[in-house]
Order: sequence, then C-alpha cells, then structure tokens
Amino acid sequence: MNLSNLLGGGHMRIAIWGAILCLLISCGGGGSSSDATTVPTPNPSPVTPTPAPTPSTPPPSTIEPAGISDSDGHRFLVQSTMGVGRDDIANLQAVGYEQWIEDQIQMPASSQLAYLLSRPEPENNFLGQADRIDAWFRFAVQADDQLRQRVTFALSELMVVSDASILFDTPRGLADYYDTLSINAFGNFRELMEVVTLHPAMGVYLSMLGNEKPDTSRNIRPDENYAREHMQLFTLGLVELNLDGSVKVDSAGEPTPTYNQQIIEGFAHVYTGWTFGGSINFSRPSFNYTVPMVAFPAFHDTGEKRLLSGVVLPAGQAPEEDLEQALDNIFNHPNVAPFISLHLIRKLVTANPSPAFINRVSLVFNNDASGQRGNLKAVIRAILLDEEARTITNETGGKLVEPILRLVQLWRAYDASAASGRFFFPQPETFFAQAPLRSPSVFNFFSPNYAPPGEISNQGLISPEMQITNETTTASTHNYLALAVFLQNSSTTDLREDAVAINIASELAFANDPDALIARASKRLLGRPPSDSLRLQIEEMLTQIPANETAFRVTEVIHAIVTSNEFARQP
Amino acid sequence: MHRRDLLRYCASALAGVTLPFPAFSAEAGTPGYKCLVNIFLFGGNDAFNLVVPRSDAEYNTYATSRQNLAVPQADLLAISPNNPDGASYGFHPSATSLQTLFETGDLAIIANTGPLIEPTTKDAYLAQSVALPPQLFSHNDQQDQWHTLKGKSPLNTGWAGRIADLMQNSTQDQLLALNTSIAGTTLFQAGATSTPYTVSVNGANTYGALDQGAQLGGARRTAFEAYLDRGFTNLHARALAEVHQRSLNTADKVNQALALVPQLTTPFPESSLGQQLNIIARLIAVKDQFAMSRQIFFAATGGFDTHDDQNQLQPGLIQNLSDSIGAFNAALAEIGQGENVVTSTQSDFGRTLTSNGDGTDHGWGSHQIVTGASVLGRRIYGNMPILEIGGENDATGGRIIPTTSADQYAATLASWFGIGAEDMDLVAPNLSNFTSKNLGFLG
Repeated sequence: MNLSNLLGGGHMRIAIWGAILCLLISCGGGGSSSDATTVPTPNPSPVTPTPAPTPSTPPPSTIEPAGISDSDGHRFLVQSTMGVGRDDIANLQAVGYEQWIEDQIQMPASSQLAYLLSRPEPENNFLGQADRIDAWFRFAVQADDQLRQRVTFALSELMVVSDASILFDTPRGLADYYDTLSINAFGNFRELMEVVTLHPAMGVYLSMLGNEKPDTSRNIRPDENYAREHMQLFTLGLVELNLDGSVKVDSAGEPTPTYNQQIIEGFAHVYTGWTFGGSINFSRPSFNYTVPMVAFPAFHDTGEKRLLSGVVLPAGQAPEEDLEQALDNIFNHPNVAPFISLHLIRKLVTANPSPAFINRVSLVFNNDASGQRGNLKAVIRAILLDEEARTITNETGGKLVEPILRLVQLWRAYDASAASGRFFFPQPETFFAQAPLRSPSVFNFFSPNYAPPGEISNQGLISPEMQITNETTTASTHNYLALAVFLQNSSTTDLREDAVAINIASELAFANDPDALIARASKRLLGRPPSDSLRLQIEEMLTQIPANETAFRVTEVIHAIVTSNEFARQP
Repeated sequence: MHRRDLLRYCASALAGVTLPFPAFSAEAGTPGYKCLVNIFLFGGNDAFNLVVPRSDAEYNTYATSRQNLAVPQADLLAISPNNPDGASYGFHPSATSLQTLFETGDLAIIANTGPLIEPTTKDAYLAQSVALPPQLFSHNDQQDQWHTLKGKSPLNTGWAGRIADLMQNSTQDQLLALNTSIAGTTLFQAGATSTPYTVSVNGANTYGALDQGAQLGGARRTAFEAYLDRGFTNLHARALAEVHQRSLNTADKVNQALALVPQLTTPFPESSLGQQLNIIARLIAVKDQFAMSRQIFFAATGGFDTHDDQNQLQPGLIQNLSDSIGAFNAALAEIGQGENVVTSTQSDFGRTLTSNGDGTDHGWGSHQIVTGASVLGRRIYGNMPILEIGGENDATGGRIIPTTSADQYAATLASWFGIGAEDMDLVAPNLSNFTSKNLGFLG
C-alpha cells in the first residue's frame, strides 16, 4: 500500500477543508450582519474556562535562580517542549533551567500503547492509526513529560519507521515503537540502538525481521536493508566526521566513506535469524508487534563477519552474541557522537550550529563526566544549556519550527481540547506535510542537510524544514491554522464533538484594548512583542472589526501571529 | 501583472466574461511548445523484472540469477523491437500499456542506464581505476545523482533547474515557472537563478482565510502581503516569505485557468501517480493562458524499494506505472499535444540480480522508459546487459554496471527540448567523457 492509498484522497480533503473554511468564515457574522453569530457565548463543552490571570502578576515564585526573563524562558521552552503552555514560563522561572531539565527527566514517560489499550470497548477492538495520532497529539498538548515528548519526536525522525508502509494496520506496534523511543530518550544511546533494532516494527519496516542466512545454491544472500540504513541514517552517516561535525577529508580533499559494501554485507549477515517474539518457529511468526524480536539460530549465519574499524566477528557465534558485538562496533565508532549530537541540536535548537557548539556536545556524548559514553540525558542537558543555545542570533540563527509543531504550539498556548476528550485528526500530513511516524520513507519528511537554493545554499547554510515548505504546503498549513483559530475556539457555537478548540475565554475582556490584546497574544505565542511589521498588520486588521465582535477580534490577532514568519521560526 | 489587476481579472473570469491572461505572443519566447515530464520511481525500480529476455538462452541466464524472483517466461508480454539484438524480450505481465505503446512506436527502452562519471568496465571498477559517483547504492545519494548529474562535484542545482536557468531569456514571457512539481520540492528542478513551482493534484492550493469570499479575506490578504513585503532580517524567515509570496501570486491564476477548460475525458488511475499525470495534462491544456513555450514537470511515486515481498508488490507497482503512462499518453492525444510532450522515467538505481529470500537490494544500472509521439519508439537503445551473477556486467553481487550514463540520457532529452550543444556540458557535466552525445531516441 502506498502513501496516497493510505491517506485516502488527502488532497481532496484539502480542497474540502478549504471550501469549508471559506464558507464558514464568510458566514461567520459579517460586518453588516446583526445576527452576531460570533458574539462570544459560554462554551458548552467541558473545556475548562481559563481564569483570566492578571496580566502583570508575577509568577508565584520567591526566587528566580537563573533570572530568566519571559522571552528567554519562552525561547528555552520552544526548544525543549512541544509548545509553551500558559503556566510553563512561570514554572521554569521558579526553578531555573537545570532543575527544570532534571524534573522533566524524572517524570514517568507517557505511554501511547497504554492509552490505546485503555480505549473503551468496543473501540479498543478496532484501533487504527487515527487512535495512535490521537495519542500523539494528546501527549504533545497535555502531557507533563514535555521534554521527553520533544526529544522522542526528534528521535522518531532519526530512527524512522512509518505507517505509510506495510505497517499501515499496526497502530499498537507503532505506538509501542514510539513508547520505546520515549522510554529510552534519556537513557544510553547503545541501549536505544538495541531496542530499536529488536523492535518488530523496525524489523518489518527495514526487513531485518525474517532475514535469513545465505543460500548460495539459490543465489540468496542476506537482506542489506537494515545494515545499510542503520549506519547511514541512524548512527554514523556516510562519511567520516570530526567531533565538530565537519567532514574529514584526506590529502586529496576527498571525504572518507564510513563503510563500504563489504561492511554492509558483514552487518547484513549479523542481522539474520530474527523474527517476531513469541513465535513457535521461524516460519510460523507470532505477529506480536509489542515484544522484542527473538532469534532462531538455525536461520542465523554462523560465518565470520567483517565490521567497522577492522573488527571481524568470529565464526560460530550465537545470533545474540553477534548482535551485541555488532552494535558495540557501531556504537564505538567516532562518528556517532557528532552525528547524533548534530541531529539533536538541529531538531531542538538551530539549523546551523557553530562547529564549537557541536564539538562541546560531542565531547559530552563521548564522556558524560562520569566516564559514560552515549548518555543521552547528559547530551540533552549539554545542548539546552549550551551558551549558543541560550544566546539569540538574528540573521542566520534558529530554525523553522516543524510545521506540525506550529499547531501543537498553538494548542498548548491556548489549552486546546475537544468535547469528546479526543484529538481526532487522522491525517495531519494533508495540511502539515508531516505526521508522527508517517514519513514517506526511512529518509524522514525532509533531509537533515537540506539547503534551499538561493541565499541559504549560497552561504553554505541549511534550512531542513524548507524541503517540505513549498507553494502547496504553505497554503495548506495556513488553512489548518486558520481553521484551528477561527472555527474551533471556545466562542464557536455548535462545535463538533471532536473539534479541538482553543480556549480564548480569558482574552475576550481585552478585545477592545488593542495594545493589551496584542501584548497578551504575542507573549503567549512568541514570548516577546511582535515585530513592528507584524504589529502593523494586526492593527490594520483590528481597525476593520467592530468592537462587539470580541471573539473575532481576539482570533484575528491569534491568527495573524500563528501564521506569521516570526511564529514559524524559533529564534 | 499587479495583484489587484489579477484579482479583477479573476473575478471577471469567474463570470465567464473574458480570459484572465494575455494570449501567447508570437514574437516572444521560444517557438513551438515542448514539454518534458519526469516520472521518478522512488526506492529503486527493479527494471530487470520490467523488461525481461524471452529467448531461451538469455531467459535461462536471467532465471538462474533471479531464482524465486524471476518472472515466468510464458507470462512475458512479447515485444518486437525494430532493432533486434539477437535476443527477444518481453514486458512484465502487468505492463500491458507499456507493451502497447512500445509496439505502436511511441515508447523506447533505454537499456541499463545509471549515474556514471566516465565509461566504466568491470575491470576498471574492480581495480578502482575509474572515477565513480560517490556513495553508489545509497538511496538519497543516487537520487541526487540522477537529479543533479553532479558526479563528485558539489553542484547543488538539478539539470532541469539548469535548463530553466539557460532558457530564462527565451522564456521570460512565460507567466509560470518553466519547472513545476506535482510531487513537492525536488532538487531536480532547483536552479541557480530560476525558481520552480509546486502544485497539488487538484491544482494550486489557496489560502482560505485570505480569500475574497472569506469575511475580511481581502483585507487580511492585503495586510499579510504587506507584512511579507516589509521583509525579514532572518534568512529562514526570508526563505519562507518567498514561498508564501510565490504561492499567493500564482495560485489564483492557475486555478482560474484550470476552471476554464473542461475536464479531460480520458480516465486516469485513481493512484497518486495517475492523479499527478492528470493534473499535468490539464496544466498542459491551459499552457497558452500562461504563454508557456517550455515546461518541465516532475511527478513521482514510491514503494519501489522492494527488499521484501517483491513478488507480491511488484505487479501493482508496475501496473500503476504502466496504466498511468497509458492514460497520460491518451490524454495528450485528446488535447492534441502528443508530439510536444516527452515522458521519461528515472529511479534511484536498479536492484541486485540476487535475491535476499523474498526481495532485492540496492543495485546500480537499470532500464528506463521514454514515451511520447515524438519518440523514435519500438526500439531498445544502448546495450542489454548480461544478467549473469559474476558476469561481465556485474560489478559484484549482482549489481549491474550501467552501460549508458544518466548524463547521456538527460542530454538527449535536453537536446530535443532546445538546449544547444554549446550549453550541454552545463546541463550534463559528465557528457564530454562519453563518445555518444545523443542516444537518438528523439531523432
């Protein structure tokens, strides 16, 4: 099944949503209309009305150890969470960056699989990927373990599996895969490598599951898929790197490949003999997607295996021994530190970190100060607390916010929820060109090195999210954000039960005080005042909306900010 | 055209009063209309199972290599090339439309093509005495090779993008970009000075909240465009703004034009590729409204990375490709553009002749398909490889060394499109290393 079949006419949905959007907005109480359909009414849904905080009330903390300003706090939280909730900055200011990270790391991991299995009968017998996406949004928007959610999302774009594949009907398996990343997000990278390798969703996705020892009489040799992509995309990259992420070159100025075809074949032989856990035998698989794969020695190649760095595994080892030693072999390659550090820096902080920043994080990856290699908790701390991460750089700094995170940021900022209690949004990719565990291939939604042609490419810089930012997706993303603000808010009447609505109750009282209205929305969404240019745009719109249209005025401001370029880029 | 004028034109077009755009001006632009359509088969198409030897000796070699992945000899759809090489061949049984197009002379097979820097023999490959494209057998690297033809250079433009750069003067009256993708952003179309455009299978996506029909939509659009026009100090924000501006400036034009032409009567497959080719045919049908003289479209479909379950997956993949191409050629005939459009395939790489049990791994050379009324079809260009593991075309492990280069393939298409020999090294940088500069499938 290919992506388009799976998505079931997604493009048509864009057109339909677009039509609905136009229709509803244009029907939504025009200036000449007196039926005032946009007059705010008490929200009939169980969305908890937000008590309007006094704008100038300081956070209830007695100390501000780091002296964190609102804008600095917001910036930190945009890097380290799925979005900045109403009380998040105050909580951060109360404890400081380091303690906040520590507190977050200690929080238990939210479990998508547990959520899916807790759905009431009979629904839990008919779980689909829509339920898994529901779980993802639920935790992204509402869970307390926000740092873990953010790091897990970053890992899910590194060690990619996707339901746009043969995994289309395995929501439990993919939920469990996401949980596996989540549980190990602050653990050791070597352990993460192993649990990912042995997860049956990965086993099926990159065809290590069912991979057999060679049969030379039938020209059958082991499948190279996992061997290749694991090194290329998950751990090492194609060419040897320095600790600062730069490419090592030889005397002729040429990069050195990290591995060759023989080494791929060595690992392909390592990854033989594995199938679903709980299987009776190799050819009678259990199809259990939520327990690790197990090995059947009769299907495992027992010859020597040439690996990286000149290592040769001896003949005659058990599949488990081969696997342990092969993963150790990769884990100890010098590329892992800069490769993983750079990935995480780019996902969390900035597209174009300085070599010195990468170097500092790589050193922590290689040794967390207690002698441990691959301590992800220490790596995350090093990234978020690095002076470069904590310093604003204007002209080339920061990164575009991944499109789907713009929606999550909006929803977190305004406590979004649906009357049904669910986040029913089965196909976010039709608007945002991405959805959790739904990449078109193992190469993720966009390349981590993508440089759009023009000034970015010409300066030798990158902007990865630009690869899914084109004339088609800018419009569709704009459309969904408009829908999420104008048509699904706490003042909307007749909301569908599944409509995820932002709560704007606290803002209505400020509807006719443009300065306060703009200040409040921009503080919530941007953590700082809008640019003069954005303020001009907003003020121009507010002059055109009558004073009695309070919800319209509030949502117009929010809409302008969430569709602005300053919201789409994290500074 | 100023945006406000455009909106006025659109409004009148909606009322059916007038065409929104000036007609093609005869004295401007490149004469005639020519269009290239590139279908990219993501994942690495196993074309050694798409075009298969039928004659016993060659089939037996193939079947011995392919084992459980071999297409049964009796199932092959026979073809009769006008330039027989002594063997006989057939298409995969799911490729009925491709067989028909081949036999009627509108389709050619370009044998064993792939990225090369210079002609590469097995001995030279094994002796490492020949320059090779870096990172052979890696998906994204070999996709980039096909898109850019960069070899070992750091070139960061695609060959379609460079064609657009070279034709910027002669196509300056075109109201749409020379390059349009229906499959998202692609390096293939990235130019140094030209900028490609993307649409969806339904046409251009529009901004609902900025629509004239939305409450305050017009005002909101004006305010948003003014915000974009005031500029940004950060380069990520600037890059995003440029896309917004192109999208806003172009979408209405495209949709208005599409609305003015009837839907095609030719049925297309419901698949993504079928729908991509459908919108391409419709956009070609309205080309005169945009004064288009040269266009390159990019369509794509995935799922070809058949490491697993190849025997189950391949029939559907091939049928989708075949049926979509069949429908597209029929639609071009319907709108009278068959002679002006050439459709060609590309893919990451071919696949190993050997099996990994139920699938194949990453190879190198592979057959490509070129089709259109201008194609000198019913012929196989280049040399069919010997499908023998360890044979003279096998690099190692059943990975076949290409005998025709992607540069030669691209140059032949570019030459037909109007790129002169003097500029061809800019389009196909490695072409000078090959004796034949034109494969001849377009005359």
